[in-house]
Amino acid sequence: MAEVKMLTEHYADNNFQTIEGYQSKKGYEMLKKALNMQPTEIISLVKESGLRGRGGAGFPTGMKWSFLPNNGEDRYLLCNADEGEPCTFKDRMMMERAPHQLIEGMIISAFAVQSKKSYIYIRGEYTHAIKVVEKAIKEAYKAGFLGKDILGSHFSHDMDVYSGAGAYICGEETGMISSLEGLKGQPKLKPPFPAVKGYLGKPTIVNNVETLASVIYILRDGVEAYRKFGTQKSPGTKLFSVSGDVMKPGNYEVPLGYKMKDLIEIECGGLKPGRKLKAVIPGGTSAPVLTEEEANRATLDYECLADMKSMLGSGSIVVIDDSRCMVDLLGVITHFYHHESCGQCTPCREGTGWLNKVVNAIKAGRGSQQDIDTLCKIADNMKGRTICALSDAAALPVLSFVPKFRSEFEYYIREGKSQVRGISYAEMHH
Amino acid sequence: MLKCTINGKPVEVKPGTSIIQAFKQLGEEIAHYCWHPALSVAGVCRLCMVEIEGNPRLQIACNTTVAEGMVVTNQSEKVKDAVKWGMDFHLINHPLDCPICDQAGECGLQDQYMKFGKYDPEMAEKKVNKRKVVDLGERVVLDSERCILCSRCVRFTEEITKTNELGIFNRGDRSEIGTFEGKPLDNNYSVNTVDICPVGALTSKDFRFKQRVWFLKDKASICNGCSTGCNVEVDYNKEGIWRLRPRYNEQVNGYWMCDVGRDVYKNVNRVHTDVEGERGEKQVKKSISRLVQAVHRLNGQSEYMQTGFAVSKVRETLSQYKKGDVALVVTGQQTSEEYEALLSYFTKSFAADDVFHWQNNPEAWGEFDGLLLRGDRNPNTKGLIKAFEKHKVKSTAWTQDLGKYKLVLLVAPENLAAYPNIREKADLLKNNKTVVVLTTSQIPEFANLPDETWQIPMKSFMEKAGTFVNFSGLEQKFAPVTTIVDAAVSADEFVAALNGQALEQVQKIYTNPTERVENQFIFQRGSL
Amino acid sequence: MMSFQLSSEGQEFVKKELKRYETKESAIIPSLYRVQKENNGWVSPEGIAHLSQLMDIPEARINEVFQFYTMFNKEPVGKYHVQVCCNVACSMAGTREMVEEFCQEHGVHENEVTSDKRFTFTRVECLGACDKAPMMQINEDYHEGLTMDKAKQILRGLK
Repeated sequence: MAEVKMLTEHYADNNFQTIEGYQSKKGYEMLKKALNMQPTEIISLVKESGLRGRGGAGFPTGMKWSFLPNNGEDRYLLCNADEGEPCTFKDRMMMERAPHQLIEGMIISAFAVQSKKSYIYIRGEYTHAIKVVEKAIKEAYKAGFLGKDILGSHFSHDMDVYSGAGAYICGEETGMISSLEGLKGQPKLKPPFPAVKGYLGKPTIVNNVETLASVIYILRDGVEAYRKFGTQKSPGTKLFSVSGDVMKPGNYEVPLGYKMKDLIEIECGGLKPGRKLKAVIPGGTSAPVLTEEEANRATLDYECLADMKSMLGSGSIVVIDDSRCMVDLLGVITHFYHHESCGQCTPCREGTGWLNKVVNAIKAGRGSQQDIDTLCKIADNMKGRTICALSDAAALPVLSFVPKFRSEFEYYIREGKSQVRGISYAEMHH
Repeated sequence: MLKCTINGKPVEVKPGTSIIQAFKQLGEEIAHYCWHPALSVAGVCRLCMVEIEGNPRLQIACNTTVAEGMVVTNQSEKVKDAVKWGMDFHLINHPLDCPICDQAGECGLQDQYMKFGKYDPEMAEKKVNKRKVVDLGERVVLDSERCILCSRCVRFTEEITKTNELGIFNRGDRSEIGTFEGKPLDNNYSVNTVDICPVGALTSKDFRFKQRVWFLKDKASICNGCSTGCNVEVDYNKEGIWRLRPRYNEQVNGYWMCDVGRDVYKNVNRVHTDVEGERGEKQVKKSISRLVQAVHRLNGQSEYMQTGFAVSKVRETLSQYKKGDVALVVTGQQTSEEYEALLSYFTKSFAADDVFHWQNNPEAWGEFDGLLLRGDRNPNTKGLIKAFEKHKVKSTAWTQDLGKYKLVLLVAPENLAAYPNIREKADLLKNNKTVVVLTTSQIPEFANLPDETWQIPMKSFMEKAGTFVNFSGLEQKFAPVTTIVDAAVSADEFVAALNGQALEQVQKIYTNPTERVENQFIFQRGSL
Repeated sequence: MMSFQLSSEGQEFVKKELKRYETKESAIIPSLYRVQKENNGWVSPEGIAHLSQLMDIPEARINEVFQFYTMFNKEPVGKYHVQVCCNVACSMAGTREMVEEFCQEHGVHENEVTSDKRFTFTRVECLGACDKAPMMQINEDYHEGLTMDKAKQILRGLK
């Protein structure tokens, strides 16, 4: 067993949700420690730890924090809990099981970046998590961990929850800022980046739930101990949400650099009896799919997956066995991005719909062999041409599914039915 | 100043200049739809792609500021390919209904397609259907299928008028521009959205289906709708004037003009029928006609005649009168040159105290809507007051019965919509023996005065050269656009004739006969 | 136009939300939720007009937000809004067949309200419960680890 329970150590304990339960496991001790440090010391620690953003992009957290301008403007800290990347469900668990862990991580981070106000932007569908976190914030205020002059440190901080209302794009940090500002959740042009001009035009740091919670453990164990886990470029542990064709799907915390094959076979109990691994989506649906061969040699860190022209993303792993039709699965994915494109940039607005229509035409038996190239051309021209990365996220699955499983697409077009399932999905597409 | 290189040409720009502004400054072509110099940067059409040396990723020129030494191009194959695909994304769901689209001929999609079209469409799927004829408000119609969602119109109502009628609703390729039920686009600047719409999505109810733009010519002029004096472009052909569009002048009107001003061309055309109400529903029509011939009316009998003959008769009558017998009534609607001619003639021949200023709504002259429209609906009140001062004219506001004068020379306003009290004013003239009215339009109230009336057809502002002095004292000269009424004279031509010159020698006609021939040729070819 | 008004508690709620965040526009989303709650699960144009007046924000701005987010229902829904996840993990676990079965059994198409006004079946995107696929959300509650029979039983058990 290679599971390392750092963040998730006490998640099985139902009492951990309450402030008493959390404090009984040394909760808020690191906040006390932090308030006796210099904010810049904390930033340096986080920088040295090499902690990378756990939301998807993997950007070094300490570096992000150091982009804040020193211009005396109010700063905001926003927690991105709009976990929308399909097949990701780690933040939901973290908020439901350990709301105080997030809150403590946030107060420490807010102190480090000297922010007086933070919001936790939680996707609207997570009604239970919203209630749990709201309750926990009240408890934290009552205990004096939030509000004015926290624990006599002269540091004051307010925290609130904001509920989204159903839009994947609000997981993009500037889309989230727009949404929080009461607008449509459309991403904003960059530059300026949020650290310079973010929420309400003020310097803003946006971090994922898991990232903020990790800060506590960097403080607790120190840089060296934290770096014992993971690789040089991907230090620490990370939560992986595994779903699909495995015996035991779920969230698993393992050190970065862990073998994907081991996670699937050891932690997740392997595939269903008699089934063979076909493919793995390694980091949410926008991450290019890996073939069986690639999956078997992949390690779970940012650099290995980047070398494989895919990405670690949010750490959500979808295991696909040999009973699955790749044409059908791609259709589910293209439908999703068509549904979620915010519509402001033309290549994404029009391209996501076009991709979905072509895949649906193939699924309905109306495809032509030319469509295979058309799909790749459309996707190629959606990449890197828009304000945010949704367009790329929509293009990358196409650019991996089609070339890697080309014969399945060719078969479907030729025969009008799925090579694997022997049926046509004509009646079942969205 | 920052030095940079654009398409191989060196250029110096002010710090903070965006790459697209640098392109414009240099006069280099760059494709774009959503960027507009007077609106915030949206960065959504993704057409203004440029390649910056040292940056592997293409950038949009509208949201990238020039840095010292930057080397930028939009001529590389990489950029051209990106724009080509950008165009294709714009067009895959576009209805391509150019034959029935009013924007055809001045459409951004057509223009860019000629340069960047793929010419080999790969889109084989069904297009997204959206609403075709959406009534957005009093003056603007939306075709959602043609819309490329550049958001210029939405930003205009957010940032310029701050009226917020428009929004983009829904998301992805289901997004549509729209208004909220019961809150139509009815601000006084609504037609600017049509001007800035780069495609045929927003069209003007007044203009649509009337002309193909390639049959129109345009000339610069100044709006005479109020004392702001917005600079305009006049679109016309041999049949008349078809629309006004704002012409950029940073000092006066920026990029915009108001909807009230859009209508002033109607006073210029021979017959203008204002249609109110929806198509198919009950329509209310009111029509105003230009006065196209001089009319002499005496004892209930009207006699039509050549303008020159009428003016010579008026001259004969005036020669019998001395100081105190004749009054002059003027409005703020004429050019400074006309005021100069009228006042120097009148003060020499008659009494300076007998000049009356017809003020339509002086109590509202100080009003201002905060954008462009001013309460003084005269283009040249300042010019008139200047002329009064020069000629030491007392300038009495015209409120009294002018019966004590034997003859009243009245220069009637051109923009009748701004003069609602004509009936009352006509009553002040019913005790006069002779009234001479210089007028652009037929004004029934003045045509039927009890005694002798002369009506002399007058040139509209688009048929003459001149100067308007706007509210701030800015003198704006303008050239004639065309001649609509051959028989019409300007007030200064009229005065020259009163001074004894032959009218044929002073009256200028501005329609170039070759223009007519050219247009006819096109019409004929089109009907073959 | 049929008129719609929030209850006095609802109006108080909106007023509080207007002051809760840095900008009053941030109160649009929570206020729309409130209208939806008080209007049988959907927001009508009248609801938006009412909010516009109450919040002093132009209708078009509220409508933009309303139309952008999928959790606001643009049409009436049944008493139980059954939202079945049909994203990758769930559709692999058979949720698309499940929606079709529900619709057939209740004689409706997707997104329609059953004649007894009790159900609306909608396909939705990932709800973040993929380890317990297949799953569905009925109103606010998640139902995870379903089978076809278990799902039908849950529907039958609803009052």
